Amino acid sequence: MSTIKTPQHPFVEGMITAFPLLLGFVPVAFMLGAEAAQKDFSSVLIMFLTMVNFAGGSEFAAIELWTSPPTVLFIIFVTFMVNSRHIIMGATLAPHIKHLPKRKILTTLFFMADEVWALAIQDISKQHKLTPSKKGFRFDFYLGVALSLYVTWSTFAGLGAYYGGMLGDLHQYGLHMAFPALFIVILVSMWNGKHNALPWAVSAAVAMLAYQYLPGGWYVILGALSGMLVAYFQGESDA
Amino acid sequence: MLDYPTLLTILGMGMVTYFTRVFGFLLLRNKTLNDKQTRMMSIAPGCVFIAIIAPEFLTGTLGDILALCVTFIAALRLGMLGTIVIGIASAYGFNWLLS
Repeated sequence: MSTIKTPQHPFVEGMITAFPLLLGFVPVAFMLGAEAAQKDFSSVLIMFLTMVNFAGGSEFAAIELWTSPPTVLFIIFVTFMVNSRHIIMGATLAPHIKHLPKRKILTTLFFMADEVWALAIQDISKQHKLTPSKKGFRFDFYLGVALSLYVTWSTFAGLGAYYGGMLGDLHQYGLHMAFPALFIVILVSMWNGKHNALPWAVSAAVAMLAYQYLPGGWYVILGALSGMLVAYFQGESDA
Repeated sequence: MLDYPTLLTILGMGMVTYFTRVFGFLLLRNKTLNDKQTRMMSIAPGCVFIAIIAPEFLTGTLGDILALCVTFIAALRLGMLGTIVIGIASAYGFNWLLS
């Protein structure tokens, strides 16, 4: 089988795939840095934080709650709550990466931010459709996505701390829509009719309820789990 | 500037975040899933996405909600870059019109 296009290295392909997301990452990271500067963070310190943690939501939460000196355990606990959705995400990735050598698994999981995971899941199903016989997960593609987002996030957080509040409120530019748009694209590609409908509806309803009444990141966990439970029992009634 | 509590907080954040990323993998690493469990895990990513964006309909401005609808229609026709650009442009447009 021959292809007309010169095949790109998967790493480059990953970087290109991640590119549209940078539209969202650059200003949001800049804003994180600007807010961190309000709490006396230097550029170097916020870059250090983003490189150690690499989970945007929890970083905004931490900066929001930051006092001088910080309440160490409280901020760490909030970080855990906000990021506990990763547990489900890691579980979905497990069957696709468990055959890899340990160092690759640990690297993959270190970079598993929402957007990286989302693009990985999408690539896995795309590769699986192309060649069902092969494992869908491509480590080099994943690294291309992960590193371009990682470096961008950290760099622009540092610049944001340095240049401060030049950007103003993000909402006026509409840039906050970049991430929901990504998720919607992927959801549309996952849609396969009636099997999704009920679990997704339940997830949405429970997430909205939990968001209203519960603190932290509970809404993602409860929303996701309730939809999964519905899928589990739906399977039973189909069989 | 880099005092002990600050360093401790940052390193602690990094550790718990990495823990959340590794833990789900460790749970499922050695499991062979039956059909129902496989179905449940294969629907999980979609449910996570839905759960992340659903509250946007509660907290967003009217402009944001209209933009989400336009973005959804765009996603039916366009690829990722096109949809993201339309999402951003429509959020900008609607919020500007309605402010």
